[in-house]
Amino acid sequence: MSHPHTLSTQHTLTIQTRHEAVAVERLLQVTRYRGFTLAGLELKPLADVSGLLITLSVVSDKPISLLVNQLNKLYDVLNLELHQAEAGALRA
Amino acid sequence: MTGAELVVKLLTEHGVHSVFGYPGGAIMPIYDALYQSPVKHYLCRHEQGGGFSAIGYARASGQTGVCLATSGPGATNLITALADALLDSVPVVAITGQVSQAVAGTDAFQEVDVLGLSLTCTKHSFYVRAVADLADTLREAFALAQSGRPGPVLVDIPKDVQLAQVDYQPLHLTAASAAPELSHFAEQIASARTLLQQAAKPMAYIGGGVHMADALPELNAFLTATGMPSVTTLKAMGSVEKTNPLYLGMLGMHGTQAANIAVQQTDLLVCLGARFDDRVTGNLKKFAPEAKVIHIDIDPAEINKLRFADVAMLGDLKALLPAMTAAGNYADWQTHCATLKAQHGWRYDHPGERIYAPLLLKQLSERMPDNSVVSCDVGQHQMWVAQHMRFNSPRNHLSSGGLGTMGFGLPAAIGAKISRPQDTSVLVTGDGSFMMNVQELATIKRFRLPVKIVVIDNQRLGMVKQWQQLFFAGRYSETDLSDNPDFVSLAAAFAIPGHSISHKDEVESALDAMFSWPGPYLLHVRIDETDNVWPLVPPGAANHDMMTDLPQWEE
Repeated sequence: MSHPHTLSTQHTLTIQTRHEAVAVERLLQVTRYRGFTLAGLELKPLADVSGLLITLSVVSDKPISLLVNQLNKLYDVLNLELHQAEAGALRA
Repeated sequence: MTGAELVVKLLTEHGVHSVFGYPGGAIMPIYDALYQSPVKHYLCRHEQGGGFSAIGYARASGQTGVCLATSGPGATNLITALADALLDSVPVVAITGQVSQAVAGTDAFQEVDVLGLSLTCTKHSFYVRAVADLADTLREAFALAQSGRPGPVLVDIPKDVQLAQVDYQPLHLTAASAAPELSHFAEQIASARTLLQQAAKPMAYIGGGVHMADALPELNAFLTATGMPSVTTLKAMGSVEKTNPLYLGMLGMHGTQAANIAVQQTDLLVCLGARFDDRVTGNLKKFAPEAKVIHIDIDPAEINKLRFADVAMLGDLKALLPAMTAAGNYADWQTHCATLKAQHGWRYDHPGERIYAPLLLKQLSERMPDNSVVSCDVGQHQMWVAQHMRFNSPRNHLSSGGLGTMGFGLPAAIGAKISRPQDTSVLVTGDGSFMMNVQELATIKRFRLPVKIVVIDNQRLGMVKQWQQLFFAGRYSETDLSDNPDFVSLAAAFAIPGHSISHKDEVESALDAMFSWPGPYLLHVRIDETDNVWPLVPPGAANHDMMTDLPQWEE
């Protein structure tokens, strides 16, 4: 069976969350459920240990706004920035 | 006071008079605090029943529903109700007991990761580590459940936190954050008004968000001022005044033909507090194909999620609807929609003597007291209720829309009766759904709740059977329920009187007997298993490609 090649795009988001392990679980759960593939994840505590600074890279052929809007609804997400997409960088 | 006593204190602080639940080991301190407290606890006979009762309470009253469960199986039994509340945006606060932190993470008795389980079925969930955080957490839970797009919030409280000592600090009210000024939407409002003036065939597509925004008066004023025809989702039934001649009914898979045809023809779809659910749109690519879209919602994640909006506004419908009202010239379209409505009206002249469920439900709708709350379950009877009963408020029609949960109806009807004791609570259920939470008859018995139960019994899992008939070559896999119990005898075991009918000429007197009886009552209605729900939009089809069976739409 041949698979159609769908143009996918990699996006990187920088997210500041509350300092709770479950915040990371929520980010990953929403990412998976909304149909985005995890391409990278880095996290570290903020300097004052009040929260986590997370760099999340995802790949999908869906508009990134679908994920950003859902992540922004999470109570644990304090700030979210979307960085320039690497359009057409990957083919799924 | 203890943390457990603080929980009860905070419930009263939030005006909670009634809670639903089931005790167990890890929540015993809270149950001890409830003992002889001003908060009335309604013991359900399964935590899922408690969860659905809280939903029924919330949906019928507009208040936040509260349910309690212990750790482990108590909490897992709540999960379906939480998912139901999430999909239908119902404000619920669920409080679960958890094992003490000293043994947390050791696979202790009745320990399960409730926080982990709750991630996908709540708006948010909290695990309280210190009693000092308990008050702020519960206050935040109530605020979250009610704010923006409402939803369920879970608070998991370890037993040691419930037992720890803490002082109660009264809530210091802070000014509520102001809604965005209308001027913030000036550009979008102007664009919306332009679209309304340019449109020749506009249609209001009304969802549950309108009544949750307390914007029904503004909605009806908008419809009257613009002269725009309208359709509603399952959850929004009762939003449009009964006297509105251009209301075409429910749209979607089992919507009216008039609603579906008109929506497919519209050139401007005004989506108000709705979310382009697949049961509404059918084939999304073919849904309202010629229409521009104005979309107003409180949830930014719903904008452009499934359908691009030419004009989108994230805000309060109560303020936005009056601001965007603009009269157009829709006379030809109004005439067309009125003609569609007249041409495709329901017919009830079903031949034969056996009971025809749509007619029965029409009779029920006409005979029940004004402002009755009708809860229903999921399946064929649910769609017949939506098609053939009329409601004067969405709070009077409780139906599991998003999750489609069988077993929802009986506990929801209990919660509705408790929240609105002055009104009649009617349950319309099917023989399959009724059995899924039938243990809640014991709750009705215990609290002598005068819930009126109508069991529409075709001895089948009717909706699944209908799909097997239509789409699976009549291979009726596991949908035969002909070994159902005797429902009247079953009710009698819970001290609930009942009666069974199977002929049309028995219906009116049976309904009168049910409503005149002062307590709970079960009316068992035997119908033919060959009756199906029409019209039906098959999977993958556009909404104008409805399947019909009975010649009820032909002159």
